[in-house]
Amino acid sequence: MKSTFATVVCRVLAALMIWTPYQIAQAGMIGTEQVVQSTQSERGNVAAFMSRGEVASQLQAFGIDQKTAQDRVASLSDEEVRALSGKIDSLPAGAVDGWVWVVVVLLIAGAVWWAWKR
Amino acid sequence: MAELRGGLPAGMPEQVELKEVPFFPQYEYQCGPAALATALGAAGAKVTAEQLVPEVYLPARKGSLQVEMLAAARRHGMVSYLLAPRFIDTLRELAAGNPVVVLEDYAPFGTWHYAVAVGYDYEKGDMILRSGEKEREVQEFATFELLWRRSDYWAMVVMPPDRIPATADEERWLSAVAALEHAGGAASARTAYETFLKRWPQNTGAAIGLANAHHALGELRQAERVLRDAAQRDPDSVVVLNNLAQTLSDQNRDAEALPFIERAVALGGPHAGAADQTRQSILGRLAQRKN
Repeated sequence: MKSTFATVVCRVLAALMIWTPYQIAQAGMIGTEQVVQSTQSERGNVAAFMSRGEVASQLQAFGIDQKTAQDRVASLSDEEVRALSGKIDSLPAGAVDGWVWVVVVLLIAGAVWWAWKR
Repeated sequence: MAELRGGLPAGMPEQVELKEVPFFPQYEYQCGPAALATALGAAGAKVTAEQLVPEVYLPARKGSLQVEMLAAARRHGMVSYLLAPRFIDTLRELAAGNPVVVLEDYAPFGTWHYAVAVGYDYEKGDMILRSGEKEREVQEFATFELLWRRSDYWAMVVMPPDRIPATADEERWLSAVAALEHAGGAASARTAYETFLKRWPQNTGAAIGLANAHHALGELRQAERVLRDAAQRDPDSVVVLNNLAQTLSDQNRDAEALPFIERAVALGGPHAGAADQTRQSILGRLAQRKN
């Protein structure tokens, strides 16, 4: 009985530890983001708050550790959290390998030159 | 692009090259960190591409996401701003001395690629970029546009908090500064809000932001002064009244805070719930003091 209770307490504490860094608005003060994003409702705030945790674990799944993922999510605005949530796999990720653009630029320059001379 | 055929808008130089912008050659797939280090360096932050890898690079995607590029700049005390998707806006920023990070698409040969535009030559029709392993890459306007179009002309600038982009829109720039504040950069955000208010002194949102930044830094007197000014200009702002009351309460001046919070609650609106909570807390503290 006691151990079940302890497990529950542990889980709640773990969840709080993950979420606490995101609650940076000071008690009693209404945060600037809530003023700036005029469409935001209290329900929207709760959703953004929940999805920060989700986006952090999604980022983790793409190869970064938990602490780094949390730090990265903390730098996102609520709007950006919503933009990322569930879409990390499909959004563009700037990545082109060094030599590829050399080939492409040469090809395009060649094509433009060819079209010009014709 | 079509908007440029008739010539540049009056007052814009025909040629710009920001030669002092640093260069960080990319390694493997890490054009994101390299481009960001370039822009951050130009804005005055001392950070290398390698240091940025854990902040923006996503190993399983072998690349960096756009919103993370915007977000990472905030961790270095800078304001990141997404430009309107217009060719001319990128040229305007360059003319104002701000390098522009762009996302290009090399499909089907490769994939997405971040580069930094550092100049243009209108006469020749060339863009000048820091890109990949090349410190000075020249792309014809047509080539550049072809590569850039697929990202819906995605472009961002990284600004030190005491400057405003040449093409900044009041509302969107305020959101950009608020995002910096939200990311924990209260000291930088304070500077950015002050700069904002010099340009747009009537903006209540920016005053709220400045007061919040002061409050986060423990500067309650300054926060109070900013909010009192804002309350004079905009007496029906529930957020201004609530935050002013809270700031007074934090200085143990609950009796003074009470009329402000009563007024905020009476006004109602989307922040009424928060205002009511503040009122309860202030009433609680007043009752405690009586006992």
